[in-house]
Amino acid sequence: MNTTSTESENTIDFQSFLDWDNSPFILFNAAGKILYLNNAAEILFGYVSKKELYDLALAYAPHDFGYTTTTLALNYDAFTFYAITVGYENEDQISIRFYNAPRIKSNVPIERDKLVETNINLLLEANIVLFKTKNSNHLQLLTDHDIPTFKIDQNKFSKLLRKTLESFRSSDSIHITLKLLTGEHVIIAGKKKAIAQLRVEANGRYTDADEEIKNIAMHCHITHILKEKSIKLEIPLID
Amino acid sequence: MQQFFTKSEQVHNIIKGFNLTKTLFVSSIIIGEEHIGKKLFVKHLFPDAPVVSGEDQGAVVDALREYDELIITDFEKLRNQESLELDNKRIIATASYIGNQTIIDDMFAFIYTLPSLKERPEDVEYIKALFIKEAASDLMLTNTNFDITAIPVNLTQNTKSLKSTIYRYLMIHSMSKNEIQDAVYSYVSEKLEGNNGYKEHLALYEKPLIEAGLKKFGSQLQLSQILGINRNTLRKKIHEHHID
Repeated sequence: MNTTSTESENTIDFQSFLDWDNSPFILFNAAGKILYLNNAAEILFGYVSKKELYDLALAYAPHDFGYTTTTLALNYDAFTFYAITVGYENEDQISIRFYNAPRIKSNVPIERDKLVETNINLLLEANIVLFKTKNSNHLQLLTDHDIPTFKIDQNKFSKLLRKTLESFRSSDSIHITLKLLTGEHVIIAGKKKAIAQLRVEANGRYTDADEEIKNIAMHCHITHILKEKSIKLEIPLID
Repeated sequence: MQQFFTKSEQVHNIIKGFNLTKTLFVSSIIIGEEHIGKKLFVKHLFPDAPVVSGEDQGAVVDALREYDELIITDFEKLRNQESLELDNKRIIATASYIGNQTIIDDMFAFIYTLPSLKERPEDVEYIKALFIKEAASDLMLTNTNFDITAIPVNLTQNTKSLKSTIYRYLMIHSMSKNEIQDAVYSYVSEKLEGNNGYKEHLALYEKPLIEAGLKKFGSQLQLSQILGINRNTLRKKIHEHHID
């Protein structure tokens, strides 16, 4: 889809800068079809529909040709934006750029001596067994057994898994998915790390342990997305 | 070494959980009533792990410094539990109750509840048979041809009450006439005093005699004939000994 080229008189090609910009950028045509999107936008489309973003662009488009930046709080799963710029120079194309809200930098240092090479599937399975000794809810697990081992504080992470599952103790049907997030990375201690995503969802859940879940997740450098019916943990694969 | 036995699905799930985390550095605790086999259970799962009791705070602190894998029994008896550093070790603790839920919740990744014997009826028959075998051997009974189903099952204190009931039953039911007389002799030697000793201790003989007779023969009429005493005398004695 990366087809557009920006050429000035000096034939400077800006496209690769745009491609690799961490802020999502999308160019739609008048019918809402995507003419261009950068890599960050490609990932964003994993969490929000094309129509929703096109409608957003139209809603915040300037009254006349040109560009307007609006400050607003947008949240799509783990993505949080604090502003968007919408612009159009003709009737055929409209662009939208999202400004990433700065992530709260974790002040928790990585205690390498506490990190142990771990098979996450093993810990997850053990926690499911523990959950089943106390609850009889129907539980469905979809996992990727090829997730490589990585280093983690096994005790803390187990507690996080226990708390996460316990918040679904009265749910009717629980779906657990563990997978690698293709193409997504997180920077931990200055290094790029792949991410495994654990998603637990049901028809509802308890929120009494949410603060604890957030706290333990933060200590494990895990991004948490806690919603009414789901909990998503994005786990950096520290090697 | 005594093996831990169970047919309980819930306990098998706990074993499964432990088997999955056996190689990991996580802290686990098993909570359950007294005398349900918690120590036997963890020793069965971790036969090589050193064991230290929560009754000895100093020993626990020292053992935590020394070992990466450790069984701590009687965890509820430890003072200052929160000051212990369990992270990055394979800790298996047992406790009869949760003293402070927040502390336990914070310290342990895996918190299991081992069901009591009352909740594991499928295990009771096996454990009962095991205790009977053990008791017959300990008491050196020559005649082991007794009715197992007649032995009462007392689970008020789990294995403790089950075992003691079995031992008492077998002892009582295997005593010879001489041994019963010896037992009465021993009792009376200790208790006999005052000026009405005969009447006071007559119940030792008369009460079980009448109770057993009534159970065996059903009616007072028949029992009076068997005992060779007057029916009114029997009725009077039933009243005296408060027999229903």
